[in-house]
Amino acid sequence: MKQNQVTIAGSAQPYRRHIVGLPLQRSLFDQAARAAATIGLPGLTSERDFPARLDQNGDLFLDRSQVAALSNALASWFTPESLELMYTTHAAACDALVDASENAARVAASLDGTSARKLSEDLANRIALVITYGILSKFVPDVLLRALKDAGDVEPPPFPESTASTELMRDMFALYQACGAFDYTPQRLQCEWPGVALEVFQLVRQFCKRQTGFGPLAWDSPGYEDPNYVVRLLHSAFDEVDTQQVRQRLSFSEKPAVASSSIDVPTKIAALRRVLGFWLDFLERETWYVRRAFYVGMIPLLRQLAAGYRQKILAFQPADVLFLDIRELAAGTADPTVIQTRRNRYMENTEYLLLHAVDASRLASIMGAS
Amino acid sequence: MSAENSTTVHSGLGAAPGHASGKAYVIRYAEDIMAVPAGSILVLRILHPHLAPLLPRVAGIVVEEGAILQHATTLARECGIPAAVGVRNARELFKNGDLLEVDGYTGKVIARQLD
Repeated sequence: MKQNQVTIAGSAQPYRRHIVGLPLQRSLFDQAARAAATIGLPGLTSERDFPARLDQNGDLFLDRSQVAALSNALASWFTPESLELMYTTHAAACDALVDASENAARVAASLDGTSARKLSEDLANRIALVITYGILSKFVPDVLLRALKDAGDVEPPPFPESTASTELMRDMFALYQACGAFDYTPQRLQCEWPGVALEVFQLVRQFCKRQTGFGPLAWDSPGYEDPNYVVRLLHSAFDEVDTQQVRQRLSFSEKPAVASSSIDVPTKIAALRRVLGFWLDFLERETWYVRRAFYVGMIPLLRQLAAGYRQKILAFQPADVLFLDIRELAAGTADPTVIQTRRNRYMENTEYLLLHAVDASRLASIMGAS
Repeated sequence: MSAENSTTVHSGLGAAPGHASGKAYVIRYAEDIMAVPAGSILVLRILHPHLAPLLPRVAGIVVEEGAILQHATTLARECGIPAAVGVRNARELFKNGDLLEVDGYTGKVIARQLD
């Protein structure tokens, strides 16, 4: 079981250090305290039912005793009906976030300030919900696996047959080959970027657009939305690599078959396997959901809101919106002094900036990203 | 050119079957992923999905966080790369260039630190 993930010695030690630094993203973690309600556990909901919190340094704290209590309660709650509820609620939250992100991207430019604030709050709430599932994913899959064993299931865990990660691998290898067709080795691409042939430039930009969402959880850390990041990673991944070996490893036809539920499997085991399979797939996508929602949906809204702030506060910079929390953003309030204080604290956290490869121009670049 | 200094054995969980050996490459900062040597044994806290494109060039994986149900397991299995998870403090135990042998069946990692 994920021992070093959940057996944290009390709440004094962070479970993760410096995971999220931007105040806007940090403020979305507040909902983590409502995890049991999120998952739809009747009888488990309470004022504070989950031991997760994020402090000002972006450190995540979990409490072992509360995690254990919630795990035990969860295990005793599983029935085919409750598992179905868990599955549908979870899947709906993920689908709704993707839809809301795409919708925000479509309409953001035409919104007035009030509508942009309302939509950004709605999108933020949907992101927060998926973040909560992300925290739950640190132990719920283990609880499900234990329940499967207890129910007599002897099959391997229902790992997904083709994950988001494998799709990413394939797509990046295809990009490598496509650039190669234009005589751009990874090294040449990195050396000459962005002054490359138009076709190659477009190939990279299209790849970035498709794969936006992959990257670290922290929005400010560079990821696949950034062509510079992609070009450098392409170099790291494929420079002087044995192409045949890569092809072999990308050939998934010889993968062992994944055990799946059949009609002969007892109902509870089938339900547990279905839900666990979804969580295992979610493990591959949890960060993608949160990051893609930001870059696809939230950034266009933030640009609108930043323009509004700038009419009221002359010195307001677009990236200042990243130093507001979601309540301030939804209310349309901003205190320049508070923003500056938060910005200073952020920029002085050199350990965080180094950990996440955030350079001086990164925040402005985020707000300028398409 | 260099003498063998010490050999240590570390236990984790076997996450993806197979045996691999190579030089350790430790990921501590985001920037470290931009220079992964071919044929290395990747040592990291957790293997996130966005690192997937790096996997075809590495020989093996050692992950600090312990659990069979995690990204590293799924990814390494798909790529056929031997992996050990739950090797606590691996990023402190190993340094770049250490010779590592990974047993993806048992989760055992043998480290030979060279001068």
